[in-house]
Amino acid sequence: MEGIIEYLESIKFVHLFMSPTIIWQSLPLLWKGFQAAAALLIIGYLLSLPAGLTAAFMKMSKNPIVRIPATFYIDFIRGTPLLVQILVIYFGFPLLMPGWREFATGPIGQLSVAGIDMSQFVRAVAALVINSGAYLAEIFRAGIQSISKGQLEAARSLGMTTMQAMAYVIIPQTVRRILPTMMSEFILLFKDTALFFAVGIFELTLQARTIQARTFNMSPYIGAAGFYLMLTLPLGRLVAYLEAKLAVSETGREPENRQERKRRKAARAKEASA
Amino acid sequence: MTEQAMVRIEDLHKSFGALEVLKGVDLEVARGEVVVILGPSGSGKSTMLRCVNRLEEPTSGRIFIENDEVTDHKTNINHIRARVGMVFQSFNLFPHLTAKSNVMLALRKVKKISKEEAEQIALEGLARVGLDDKADVYPIMLSGGQQQRVAIARALAMDPHVMLFDEVTSALDPELVREVLDVMKGLAKGGMTMLVVTHEMGFARDVASRAVFMDEGVIQEQGTPEEVFDNPQNERTKDFLGHIR
Repeated sequence: MEGIIEYLESIKFVHLFMSPTIIWQSLPLLWKGFQAAAALLIIGYLLSLPAGLTAAFMKMSKNPIVRIPATFYIDFIRGTPLLVQILVIYFGFPLLMPGWREFATGPIGQLSVAGIDMSQFVRAVAALVINSGAYLAEIFRAGIQSISKGQLEAARSLGMTTMQAMAYVIIPQTVRRILPTMMSEFILLFKDTALFFAVGIFELTLQARTIQARTFNMSPYIGAAGFYLMLTLPLGRLVAYLEAKLAVSETGREPENRQERKRRKAARAKEASA
Repeated sequence: MTEQAMVRIEDLHKSFGALEVLKGVDLEVARGEVVVILGPSGSGKSTMLRCVNRLEEPTSGRIFIENDEVTDHKTNINHIRARVGMVFQSFNLFPHLTAKSNVMLALRKVKKISKEEAEQIALEGLARVGLDDKADVYPIMLSGGQQQRVAIARALAMDPHVMLFDEVTSALDPELVREVLDVMKGLAKGGMTMLVVTHEMGFARDVASRAVFMDEGVIQEQGTPEEVFDNPQNERTKDFLGHIR
């Protein structure tokens, strides 16, 4: 075992980019960074859902006083880089909030969430919610509008109120249809947490960068990449699975999957040899 | 005093932007009457039907269902809609719910009936359209004709006083039309008040108490099916019937 590691470390490229020794030593700090990123992601995403749904309904409103601010918000956020938004929100937040200094230095501000100071965490989550809310709003809106008008009419013709029709007929169908896209947004948001390294939040990427600066070695980044993949790969597969399942429920037909193709190929081969 | 009309439409106008689709329609439907509405596409027949339960907002005119004015914004439209069943060309079953749950949903949420009772009504309703064996099946697994029968059962479960049928067989393969028409005939024989927009002449002859011919946003001619089909007076009616025969 030691011999193998020694051999690997002797190869310059392997040593510089994926040194087993350095990655192993980085693991505790990277794990801390992963927890911080995951905490930002989960809290940020959960709060984005109501924000996105609200913005979606506002954008679908017939009333321009409600619709125009939502349209502006969604277009602005989706049309500008997240890094710029983070800088504005992260450093703008304290300027805007009365009593921020007292909060940040007070007992609550000194608490830490997954290793991040509360005063930093709040601002980071605000940036994520404002950003992700705009993307989710468009996902929700497109989903709701993809449900045929006849569904709402059928519900209304049975005496349901608009709210009931939304709750029992439109939204359940929408969620089913947009679940894969919502999960893709979750994955994207996770990768976006890396940008918080720019404002000094010790998430995964900043942890890796700190070790890299100390060792002049790229391996911690590769270690960090491993942590990102730990979440994005299985979730990506889940999205693909959900999409296939959705296709079944929408068309009533099982898509021809890999096993099926293999079985047919085997059957054909058998036939040919017989 | 004559018996109170089930549906009364007075000088109904409806415009979509600059396009005037209904140009003053008057129609009275008595309890138990089956009125078949015919006419070329774009004549306004579907729009008129959709105004009756205010899926379309009339531009002007008044509509009454029994004692209630549909067009009065003070009336609770949801209460009226619960008494007016509607079946659509495109079925509009809720795809995320089984046949039984499709029928149960409004019973539970609008009529606030207990789950057990709603289930009972749903199963009886599905049996009535010959689909009690499909109660737990999702719409996607049903044929068009079966879906439309579930849609009829869903509307009937609310115990409506009048039923509106909007070209309900137009989206069906020819061999599936009959099973739906048979259900509708049964309903008519049972005394249900029905407004039926259709192109099915055979159905109209068999069960309609009155045939109404619409064109260009007004009623051109009406009478018994025999009068309208065999001896039309209006030039447009003659022309239309000549085309579809």
